[in-house]
Amino acid sequence: MRCLEIHDVGFSYKDGTIALKGVSLGLEDGEKVAIIGPNGAGKSTLLHLVAGFRMPFSGEVIISGRRLDSDNADTLRRDLGLLFQDPDDQIFMPTVEEDVAFGPRNLKLDDIDGRVARGLRSTGIEELAKRKPHRLSYGMKKRVALAGTMAMDPRVLLLDEPTSGLDPRARKDLIKLLRSMDRGMLIATHDIEAAAEIVDRAIVLDVEIVMEGTMRDLVMAREALEKVGLEVPPISKFFGVLDAMGYQVENLPVSMDQAVAELTKVIEREGKHMHAHIHEHDHAKEADHAHEHSRGHKGQSEAD
Amino acid sequence: MTALHLHDRMFEVHPLDEHASESRLGRLDARAKLVGVLAFVVASALLTKPELVLASLAVAVTFAASSAIPLRHTLRLYLGALPFILLASLSLFLFVGLDNGVAMWARTSACVLALIVLASGTETFELFSGLRRLRVPAIITTLLMLTHKYIGLLTEELSRMTVARRARGFLGGRNLLDRYALKVISYTAGMVLVRSSERADRAYEGLKSRGFEKEMVGWRTKRIAAQETLFMASMLAASVVLLAVQMELVG
Repeated sequence: MRCLEIHDVGFSYKDGTIALKGVSLGLEDGEKVAIIGPNGAGKSTLLHLVAGFRMPFSGEVIISGRRLDSDNADTLRRDLGLLFQDPDDQIFMPTVEEDVAFGPRNLKLDDIDGRVARGLRSTGIEELAKRKPHRLSYGMKKRVALAGTMAMDPRVLLLDEPTSGLDPRARKDLIKLLRSMDRGMLIATHDIEAAAEIVDRAIVLDVEIVMEGTMRDLVMAREALEKVGLEVPPISKFFGVLDAMGYQVENLPVSMDQAVAELTKVIEREGKHMHAHIHEHDHAKEADHAHEHSRGHKGQSEAD
Repeated sequence: MTALHLHDRMFEVHPLDEHASESRLGRLDARAKLVGVLAFVVASALLTKPELVLASLAVAVTFAASSAIPLRHTLRLYLGALPFILLASLSLFLFVGLDNGVAMWARTSACVLALIVLASGTETFELFSGLRRLRVPAIITTLLMLTHKYIGLLTEELSRMTVARRARGFLGGRNLLDRYALKVISYTAGMVLVRSSERADRAYEGLKSRGFEKEMVGWRTKRIAAQETLFMASMLAASVVLLAVQMELVG
């Protein structure tokens, strides 16, 4: 069943700048879709239209079978969980657990204790329950904001640039967390690699929809991406080079996990094997080790 | 002092919450603190006899000293209120007499000190939440909470702009009448307002997205414990004694 439908939506700012033109998309229950686009493409505006903070000038938004308008926006928003780009914009209460309880209390939902516990558990921040949110790291604040949204048990999560401003570990953890969540998601992002790890399909937006498909479809259409100012991930470029060199790549990988799987296939198909060894890293001996290593290889190739 | 220094001083932030957790009062329920301190403030304001006013000042000083809030912090806040206290005291001193001037200084100082300790020894949100639980109308407490949140946003934007301005070599003008410095400061003020307004809009959308309609209150409510009752009773007893002696002396 479709939990969200957007039909031919258009929106422009007060100064006349067109932000969105003829945008249509649908989201099935539990489906994860990325909206990919450069800065100013209208991604955040689209999320705000869906959340009912702005009303489209043309077209319509249908949430759980009901047409969104300014009168029912507060009611329909109960089905949506909006995660802002900056968590400081949506954290209000003095402790983490109070903040997670904020939404359920406002909506007068039942079992607030259980919801808070589940929200904290699902985002892996149970131990932060009594902490003050404003003293947490940016990555942890994002988790607190997500826990607060999850505690409201929304049908669809609307995530605005969820990975922006995160350090590599926090980014990786958040991607893993979002991937594991069994819930419909509409993710506005320009982080193509992160989107590839989380979503089922993606839409490239640049005021209007430029293309639509799986992440692999999008990466294969490199020229279309570059035309709207997006870069194909380096890992995809690297495999493109391998492909050009004669190592046939079945599926162009977009993320590191996909790259490892693809590389394994290439190596196995080529009838070769990977040899890896782990040893203690010693900077003092590093130069000598490298020198001997290269001499060994050189000798071997000469023998060949 | 340059225009920049004056501007920075004006917008310097003294976070009230910074000592709340380390204060002895920090662990007490906000309702007990509010009832106790406000009763003391009302009683102090009603005192007219100089010796009793000085006694109430002594109670306030003892209260401040035993709260474990750093003296420097309390004094800094008291100095902020001092011009207003002196204005009221001086006018009485000039038009009525020395005794009345000193009594006005002591009376206002006692009230201000007690309120400083209450505000510094309680998380701001807890304080407003406590007011709501004491049946203060939701519109007032929610407005106070939102104002507190928006002042935070405003000061955050201001400190970002100040850092950005310094990073680009602006160190203030030569004097208070430096036109270039004043121009930069006025642009900063304008930008801070625009940016804060945008952030305030986002924060409001953040509230709406989480079902906010008109009331912000804490989730967990605890019962007033023996320690809190004792605090409240002590403050009420001090207030009642001061007022009783006053009535005795006047009557």
